[in-house]
Amino acid sequence: MLLDFALPAHDRKLIPEGRLSGPMPWVIAIMLFLTLLVAAAGVTLADAARKGGADLASKVTVQIIEPDPVARAAQKAAVARSLRSVPGVSGVNPVPEGEVRNLLEPWLGSGIIDADIPVPALVDFRIDRVPNGQMLRAMQRRLESVAPNIRLDSHSSWMAPFFDLMSALVWLAVGVLLMLLVATSAVVILAVRSTLNTHRGTIEIMQMMGGTDLQAARLFQRRVALDALLGGVVGFAAATAVILALGGRFAAVEPGLLAGATFPWYGWVLLAIIPLAVMGLAMLMARWTVVSALKKML
Amino acid sequence: MQSVVEFDNVGLRYGTGAETLTDLSFTLYPGSFYFLTGASGAGKTSLLKLLYLAHRPSRGAIRMFGHDAITLPRERLPGFRRRIGVVFQDFRLVQHLSAFDNIALPLRIAGIQEKDLQGPVTEMLAWIGLTERADARPATLSGGEQQRVAIARAVIGRPELLVADEPTGNVDPDMARRLLQLFAALNRLGTTVVVATHDIHLLQEIENAQMMRLDKGRLSDPTGQLKHPPRPLVLKN
Repeated sequence: MLLDFALPAHDRKLIPEGRLSGPMPWVIAIMLFLTLLVAAAGVTLADAARKGGADLASKVTVQIIEPDPVARAAQKAAVARSLRSVPGVSGVNPVPEGEVRNLLEPWLGSGIIDADIPVPALVDFRIDRVPNGQMLRAMQRRLESVAPNIRLDSHSSWMAPFFDLMSALVWLAVGVLLMLLVATSAVVILAVRSTLNTHRGTIEIMQMMGGTDLQAARLFQRRVALDALLGGVVGFAAATAVILALGGRFAAVEPGLLAGATFPWYGWVLLAIIPLAVMGLAMLMARWTVVSALKKML
Repeated sequence: MQSVVEFDNVGLRYGTGAETLTDLSFTLYPGSFYFLTGASGAGKTSLLKLLYLAHRPSRGAIRMFGHDAITLPRERLPGFRRRIGVVFQDFRLVQHLSAFDNIALPLRIAGIQEKDLQGPVTEMLAWIGLTERADARPATLSGGEQQRVAIARAVIGRPELLVADEPTGNVDPDMARRLLQLFAALNRLGTTVVVATHDIHLLQEIENAQMMRLDKGRLSDPTGQLKHPPRPLVLKN
């Protein structure tokens, strides 16, 4: 089909090509701009969900609730020792007390937390698989032998709704992307029908002289391909500018839930493919529209 | 002798209206020259449309070049149409193409290489006296010039069947005679020619031409035995 793009000069004259003179390239540019933004959002969310999910799903925090600071420190060390001896457990990290206080400071205010206010001791660790309830209960029983008053928080459980939301948003992006592609196809079909009506006389003459449906379709495919190409370049440039600008804003956001929200390299590959795919889709739609219309003629 | 066209009891109606053509049965043979006459509205243009495969009949059978044209699959139509040259009554030139490109159109559609069509098209332009107007668009040509371009376009591909609807209606008598000579020359090379015309003087220009007369959609010779036309031909001296 790409070969159809290269028509001899005299064939190109059959359907005059008014590039950027009609609305088609601009409509395609706008549709493609939106499509690329949706695709970029989808890729970013999917990547963030994948990274965050993998990072957090296997992470567990032990909370040691013990008012006596000396006993609390001892239990913290014991818990860490105990965890390091458990097969499949890695990254055991007793969180320094100062860090815990820093975590609480935004909630309780600075200078309020002093040594008299007991803060729980925390020990983070990872398990080589996503922990289920049974695993966590067994782990709890094991750790209670060295620290009787503990609570295990699996990060996967409290992050699950967030990642479910991200997953839903990714699917929403896929749905919107497909709808935009359908809308782009509809625009192409309407434009080709309109052009076909304008040049019906020329096409009828070609047919009466033995022109085939595909010969006629190629004329329209080329015209649509040029419009899609020009629209694609404009749409891609605009979308790239927006993505780069938003990327800069994301980079400035403090680490947190959005820390994993970066635009991956394969996202750029996808963004480069989409305009080409839209061009191919537009050409396919043009061929189908023309051939279908001509079949109604003798 | 294999026929070029065979009509057997052909009828044509548009939509649900009355039949425009009724019970047409005739045979056109290779190398023959036919004039199609009849009053306005007699169905001449409709009959020509059946001949150049722009319509299928409502009933009856048509064989063209030895094949059943009624059941001809759509994808085979272009091959048949390339064997037919058509001069439309309203010329139907492509307005945004030059005279040269209009004449070259059938050759380009047939896939003739550019280097191979330059000569024949230039020669044809010279023959119709429009060499100087090769680059002119149809809108800048007079009616007669447009008609000559339309005729040149129809004959450039040396068709086996040439169908012309009032081909001399807009040209002066001299040019009309020259164009008919062109048709006659093609006819001598084996092209079957069908010319629809009101101009009875034209009938005298072609030797051995036969006449088909349509009257209210029916051939005036209902047997369609055109080898024995219903009235004697006037032959050129």
